[in-house]
Amino acid sequence: MTSGWRLPLAAAAVCIGIAACGASPAPPPRDVRVVLYHDPSSLSLIGNTDQNSAQLASMISDGLVSYDAAGRYVPMVAKSWDLAPDGKTLTFHLREGVVWHDGQPVTAKDVAFTVAKIRDPATQAQSWAGYFADVTSLETPDDATVIVHYARTYADALEPWRAPLIPEHVAGKDSDFLTGGFARHPVGCGPFRFASYAPGQSVVLQAFNRYWEGAPKVGRIIVRIVGAERTGYEALLLGDVDLMAVTPDLWRESQSSTAGTRFARFVYYRLNAWKVDWNQTNAVPYFRDPRIRRALVLALDREKFAATVIGGLGRPAASSYPPESPWSDPSILPLPYDPVSSASLLEESGWRLPHGKRVREKDGKPFTFTLLLAAGSQEMADRIAAWMQQSLAPVGVDMKIEKVEWKTFQQRRKTHDFQAAMAGVSFDPTPDQYDLYHTSAAEGGFNYGGFSDAEVDRLLEEGRSTVDPTARHQIYNRLQQRLREVEPMAFLFQLAQPVLRDPRLEGVEASPVGLFQFAPGPRAWHWSEAGTGR
Amino acid sequence: MRASVSPVVAGGSLLGLVVLAALLAPWLTQDPAQIDLDSVLRPPSSAHLLGTDGLGRDVGARLLHGARTSLLIGFATGALSLLLGLPLGAAAGYFGGAVDSAASRLIESVMCFPGLVVAIALLSVGPPWLLALSEPVRIAIALGLIGWTPAARYMRGEFRRLRGSDAVIAARAAGAGHPRIILRHLLPRSLAPVVVSLAFGVGSAALAEAALSFVGVGISPPRASWGELLGQALHQAGRAWWLAVFPGGALFLLVLGCNRLGDGIRDRLDPIRPA
Amino acid sequence: MLAAIAARIATALVTLAVVSLLVFALLSSLPGDAGDDEGPKPLPATFRAALRAQYHLDEPAVVRYGRWIADLIRGDLGTSLSSRRSVRELLGERLPVSLALNACALLVMIATAVPLGVLGAWKPGGRWDRAGLTLTTALYAVPVFWSALLLQWLFAVRLGWLPLAGIATEGATLGSLGAVADGLRHLVLPVACLAGGGLAYVTRFVRTSLVETSAGDGGRAARARGLSTLGYLWRHGLLQAGVPLLTLAGFLIPRLVGGSLLIEEIFGVPGVGSLMFESILARDIPVVLALTLISGIATLAGTTLADLLILCVDPRVRRAG
Repeated sequence: MTSGWRLPLAAAAVCIGIAACGASPAPPPRDVRVVLYHDPSSLSLIGNTDQNSAQLASMISDGLVSYDAAGRYVPMVAKSWDLAPDGKTLTFHLREGVVWHDGQPVTAKDVAFTVAKIRDPATQAQSWAGYFADVTSLETPDDATVIVHYARTYADALEPWRAPLIPEHVAGKDSDFLTGGFARHPVGCGPFRFASYAPGQSVVLQAFNRYWEGAPKVGRIIVRIVGAERTGYEALLLGDVDLMAVTPDLWRESQSSTAGTRFARFVYYRLNAWKVDWNQTNAVPYFRDPRIRRALVLALDREKFAATVIGGLGRPAASSYPPESPWSDPSILPLPYDPVSSASLLEESGWRLPHGKRVREKDGKPFTFTLLLAAGSQEMADRIAAWMQQSLAPVGVDMKIEKVEWKTFQQRRKTHDFQAAMAGVSFDPTPDQYDLYHTSAAEGGFNYGGFSDAEVDRLLEEGRSTVDPTARHQIYNRLQQRLREVEPMAFLFQLAQPVLRDPRLEGVEASPVGLFQFAPGPRAWHWSEAGTGR
Repeated sequence: MRASVSPVVAGGSLLGLVVLAALLAPWLTQDPAQIDLDSVLRPPSSAHLLGTDGLGRDVGARLLHGARTSLLIGFATGALSLLLGLPLGAAAGYFGGAVDSAASRLIESVMCFPGLVVAIALLSVGPPWLLALSEPVRIAIALGLIGWTPAARYMRGEFRRLRGSDAVIAARAAGAGHPRIILRHLLPRSLAPVVVSLAFGVGSAALAEAALSFVGVGISPPRASWGELLGQALHQAGRAWWLAVFPGGALFLLVLGCNRLGDGIRDRLDPIRPA
Repeated sequence: MLAAIAARIATALVTLAVVSLLVFALLSSLPGDAGDDEGPKPLPATFRAALRAQYHLDEPAVVRYGRWIADLIRGDLGTSLSSRRSVRELLGERLPVSLALNACALLVMIATAVPLGVLGAWKPGGRWDRAGLTLTTALYAVPVFWSALLLQWLFAVRLGWLPLAGIATEGATLGSLGAVADGLRHLVLPVACLAGGGLAYVTRFVRTSLVETSAGDGGRAARARGLSTLGYLWRHGLLQAGVPLLTLAGFLIPRLVGGSLLIEEIFGVPGVGSLMFESILARDIPVVLALTLISGIATLAGTTLADLLILCVDPRVRRAG
């Protein structure tokens, strides 16, 4: 009994020794686990997509172009392009060697197919169809060339072409695009191929080794679907998640708890803002005067709010051109906190504070309005609203708050059935904000307040049809100055995106559009040590 | 029976405590809406006995004023539930037969109705007169419209029992008509079930309001509500424990008090159950 | 008897039809619908119109409802307006999860309530009875989202004994037995939270039924024969109280298919509660109607069963009726 085991044990030790020194095969690259807070509305890459689906789609398939980390266009499937001087014709030259996940080459026919699908209402491509509205025709003289004709001079002609491409030979076989085989198992030409989807649980993407720019350095990307930010954070603490954006409250918690301090962290700003639409249609008298719109913002101590409540993870916004936008005019700064000027502006506009009362009056009517906001998981919205109410009271303005659910909010904004409405808004890196400010955008666009200014309209029209970048910069700088003069909407804050990651995960870069929808994006992520397979 | 605090007294005291705190709130505490950006999310201290919330507002103040919201909605919902459920359930239980069938079918239909649809609908839209009402009242109406069926079913059971009780049978045998029986025998005896129903109704309405505020479709800011505080706690990932413990505890005590009170009275009503 | 059951089923169908019509009408009257989602750029009017036409969103409400009824009769539950998948498929994903969760919760509830009820009925008013009542009442009073947060923090985060959220460990390869065990592990916390809520009601129900039976003829006779109360309760009491106990079905059956939005949000369980909530917010009418039908059928089945059983049993009702 005693000696019988020594020999096998010694043999085992020798074997292990040999294995350790010898040429062992390289372990498979590690996975990266990230989170989503909601199931993607569709896996079809272009149809019925929401923000979550768009993030996934950008990893599964490339478009002709994409953004880089600074928001400029970079070539992807298209290796070069020429925009005609009149801005109405765009010619793409496709790269060689780009293949779909099934090995077939990507050709111009796939581009034409993608565009046709996007413009087909049956695909429900709400995220992309609007961009292609001005495309009149598309030609594919050969497999590597695409010629696009626009109805008007479209200075931002490259913008639609970030749309992920879909393969005709796969997706063309489905009679119903949104429920067919492609929507269940999308095939793309991006750095990651679709592996599996468990509804309510996770989406698994696998590295695509024949990606044209080189294979990703991680094994798989596992996207966990969690119900709330808090659950994701707990998963991060437990080591089930490697990378996630957190809320300011969770960020603070991670800085003070022992479990949280081990993460590497960074903060970046995206092209979004928290804004208030002031209703300037005839329904409401207050907000047609730019002095009043300005006064209401001057009464808010935004710096303090950002420093305390948002924990420094936000800053006052100046306009709809955040500093991260390549077109932002750096001379336009956020309005300061100046309750004295606020009060005097209100006095000037005829709103006087009667003796002994706390609310200003004009023609016997008190200055009282209701701020509409949407119920949702944005807990910060409630706090901003309550703080606004308290901040406006000292200057004699009575603000009430009304919270309704999202669709009601959207509907009331569209039909101008509100007095002031607060919500978040995102911007593209392109400078064209016609849909936000133009008079015609009050019906069917995003000009919910019904703002109208002749000079702004003119500048918007000029800006979108001027191709020369220098001339464009001048136009948009003038536009930003004019917008500062009239303050059509109040851009209150820009909220930062704090990100926590496992310290061994490197190559995580942020762009103004986030962590995902730019180049190289997730393709550059890698683990700093030779990890064991997971 | 061993000497112990009867549930009626215990429950009633808890409920009474919450009511008292709610009534005295303006005199006991500072302004619940007073924002103090320099004291955001502070733990309990001498300045703020129960800590502060995400805007530096005193949690104790919001807790007591939140009690007002919860109780207002609770009682309004309970009253509305009784208003709808008592006549229907009583008629069903007492008259039986076709009346019972019709009433039961109606009750069933309401039970099948998805309450969330009604809640969201009433809280977001509605005729102008409805929207002009204050928000807690609108919430109470929504909750009352969805939640009156337990009151109706309970009343139905109680009136059935009463119908078969000795007093009523004797009265019927003596030739008394329905109105007389209702007035002299049923009405006095229905006081206790009403209190029971109200007690349970207040508790469950307070829970429902907290749940609505928790998922974000309840009270608008800046009104204080226990559910809103708990919702803030959810976003804090366990760091601001005072945002979860105190409102949750308060809600717990309120519901516990209501249930004990209701249980206690209900147990006294039923002669078969030993004291 | 058969005629009575048939009549009941007929009225149940009418009830379901009326409820579905009202839900449809209510949802259609809310602002916004499933076809007005905005993208980053406004959609061309013709595109938007074509999009809406696919869902017949601009047709009169009566026509849309009629269309839904016609599909229903054919067995087609329709297509979800938000995810474009068939409602049947969506339900097939979410309903089993809720069923599993609820079934486990009901089992735990019954397994805990019966012994507690027996203990309580053994010496009514005694130490165990009052302790049991206090415990279950306290459990009932705990707001479910509070207990969920606390339990989750304690067992998943602090102690790490149980998974935090979800219903399975994704990416893991387990045998079928392992997968079941993994799923059960994930369900422990949600089940605990769910079971606590109904425990008070069931315990009280069991206790009262047993007390009544024990005080009745059978119980007195058994004790006269020398059988201890506890022994009687365990061996005969439950059986004799069986029929009244079965009226608990009116309470339990609807809970089998219901979804708890709060539990599902906190524990990341993809069940029907969150599906209903999201569908209402998204105005996804076919999904809401399908879920209404399912819970309606369960509710009606439960109450019908309970009422029938009560009619057979309650002596006071029989005396008065």
